[in-house]
Amino acid sequence: MASHLPGVDPARSAIAFEQDVQHEPRLLPKKQKKPKRDRHKRLKVTFFRYAYYEPAFRYFVEQVLDTDFLPLPEATKHSEEVGVQNSSDYVCTPFKHILGDFIDALEAGADILIQFGGPCRLGYYGELQESILRDLGYDFTLLNFSQGIEQGYFGFAKETLKVVNPDINIPYGIRQLLSTANMVNRLDTARDYYLANAGFEDVPGSFAKAWANFMDAMNTAQTDHDINQIFRDSMAEMRAIPNHKPAYPIRIGIVGEMFTAIDGRSNLNLDEKLVAMGIEVHRMLNLTNVIIRSRNEANLRLSAAPYLTYNMGPTSTLTIAAANQYANEGFDGLIHAKSAGCTPEIDCEPLLQKISADYEIPVLYLTYDSQTSDTGLDTRLEAFYDMLVMKQAKKQKLSRR
Amino acid sequence: MVFHTQAEFADVRCVGIPRALLYYRYGPMWKAFFEALGREVIISPETDKALVDRGTALSVDECCLASKTYMGHVDWLLDRCDAIFVPCYASGDARQGFCTKFQSLPDLVRSTFREALQENHTVVLSCEFAHLGDAKERQKALSGLALSLGASPKEADRVYKIAIRAQQEAEKEATAHLEQTLKLHNNLVKLVAKDKSGQSEQPLSILLVAHPYITHDRYICGDVIDALLSMGVTILYADEINHKQAYKQSFDFSSTLPWVINRELIGAILQLKEKVNGIVLVSAFPCGPDSMTDDAIMRVIQGIPILNLMIDAQSGTAGIQTRVESFVDILKFQQKGGYVHG
Repeated sequence: MASHLPGVDPARSAIAFEQDVQHEPRLLPKKQKKPKRDRHKRLKVTFFRYAYYEPAFRYFVEQVLDTDFLPLPEATKHSEEVGVQNSSDYVCTPFKHILGDFIDALEAGADILIQFGGPCRLGYYGELQESILRDLGYDFTLLNFSQGIEQGYFGFAKETLKVVNPDINIPYGIRQLLSTANMVNRLDTARDYYLANAGFEDVPGSFAKAWANFMDAMNTAQTDHDINQIFRDSMAEMRAIPNHKPAYPIRIGIVGEMFTAIDGRSNLNLDEKLVAMGIEVHRMLNLTNVIIRSRNEANLRLSAAPYLTYNMGPTSTLTIAAANQYANEGFDGLIHAKSAGCTPEIDCEPLLQKISADYEIPVLYLTYDSQTSDTGLDTRLEAFYDMLVMKQAKKQKLSRR
Repeated sequence: MVFHTQAEFADVRCVGIPRALLYYRYGPMWKAFFEALGREVIISPETDKALVDRGTALSVDECCLASKTYMGHVDWLLDRCDAIFVPCYASGDARQGFCTKFQSLPDLVRSTFREALQENHTVVLSCEFAHLGDAKERQKALSGLALSLGASPKEADRVYKIAIRAQQEAEKEATAHLEQTLKLHNNLVKLVAKDKSGQSEQPLSILLVAHPYITHDRYICGDVIDALLSMGVTILYADEINHKQAYKQSFDFSSTLPWVINRELIGAILQLKEKVNGIVLVSAFPCGPDSMTDDAIMRVIQGIPILNLMIDAQSGTAGIQTRVESFVDILKFQQKGGYVHG
């Protein structure tokens, strides 16, 4: 939460000197010839922990890659600590979380790890993490989607076949890939409903229970038909939950950085905390809107034309466009969540300040690093909520007059 | 919708360029471009404490020192020119990108200085370079800018060529400077080797690895350079290396590193590490790309002492001096044979 980065001393310095040259000056050793593959051994594949997307990752691993999925248990304090210990001090926080996850996964017996490629520092996560993990002595294969990025989908497919499983039935795999996309879409739709309504349940815990059922069911889905069926059932279950949603609830829009603004472990369960206060929460930022239904960036940018002329970074356009839309729709407040040192989102802040001033909408800026305290967050959220309630009451009083 | 019947910025007479960030890389091109268009070009003065303080006040706390400095420079230019040139260098190519800061600068400046720009009737001139390797796109961007400044298409073409030539010459000159420094240093080494009296000390050389806007900004990196020079060390500037070659070579080190400047710096290290006694990495706190590359360099490059220095706005000269001195002592010790191995 600290607006000042921790541990800044005047001139931090370090000296590295390894007199004997033990290996070539390269991050990863040259690819050696692979040992012969054991056709009967099932490979265990793991993603890192990321919000509520585990069912989609599982589906991808089981149906598309045709390998075994190794689910990770809930993150512990230890997972975070090893991640922090083995990362450079001021690299962005998701890097540290993911590194900790990978160490957990390797110790649980994973053969293959999967890392996304993408813009900004994310594109370099995979290679650097692989190098750090190899230095720690782990042996594994990394499917790094940053590798094939120049060739687009074709490059990813080639990389996957080469690294993971050359026997993938390609037409079947493509169909299942589309189902994975469908699942991500369903997960996000259900999550949107949850965020907007869970704050007003009559019986505390009923939405959480429905959500847990939904996740369990999705984790067992085998086909596209399953996914749609489970989605329909779970939505019906959630809609049937008795609630007391007022006509004008406090509405908050969450914007921010791809990982921290969504992932509960990174943002200290921001979703649940807001919902528990009886707030209607909206978040345009999710995998569906960023990847699967990624809208034409240039058109999205036009929707926030007074603030944006160029694409400012990976999800900056979405951050500003969403904030602008929420402000236009008369939301009560905005929360901007990002990890410490996230350059593109830091650069969004001056623009958000202008939106805040133009529409008179309060914005709470949250910066998470590995030392952010849970109680500190509670206090800030409560203060923010109280302010929004007072502001709303004042507005209603004025309109009644 | 307004249809502009004439060039939008035709009445801009005087263009300001902030002496910060990518100015230290593309400055010659920008300056030549506007001068060839017959505009007066004002470049903000060398960074000083007042500029940095002003920039810090205008920026979000967490921004890096270099970008805070940039805001200070823009602020200085506000009432001194009709337009400020803030280009957008985006990362369209996955392996030849920049820090997203350079992509967001135009909108950042427009937002931060929204009221001040209106008051001073100053506009932000900008154009987008999304793919660094794409010469056609670069030409389109610069010609488009020239057209909006009232140039004819033919003139825009001419101006573009002048700008590119200026840039190429500046880069050639920088590389020549690097080669000459290396040659002079080698001559010195030979001279000392000939001296049998053993009186004169062996000369030392180090490779200074930092983004050009760190290396060549006296306020940010001057202390480091002065400390090194005062100890008689020859400094080779890694950013002066031939960009194309260094970029190519960097793929030996990493296949997915996304930032072109960091790639060139790593290429320089690979090319020159046998020819120098030590490496000094300097970065401005908290630099995003460096947070991932410096760490990797320290872990992977072996056989040569490496010093990593992080410069913060409040850094005292004394702290830097002691660190540089102790590093140079290590180099001297190493030169005399170092620790005896078992």
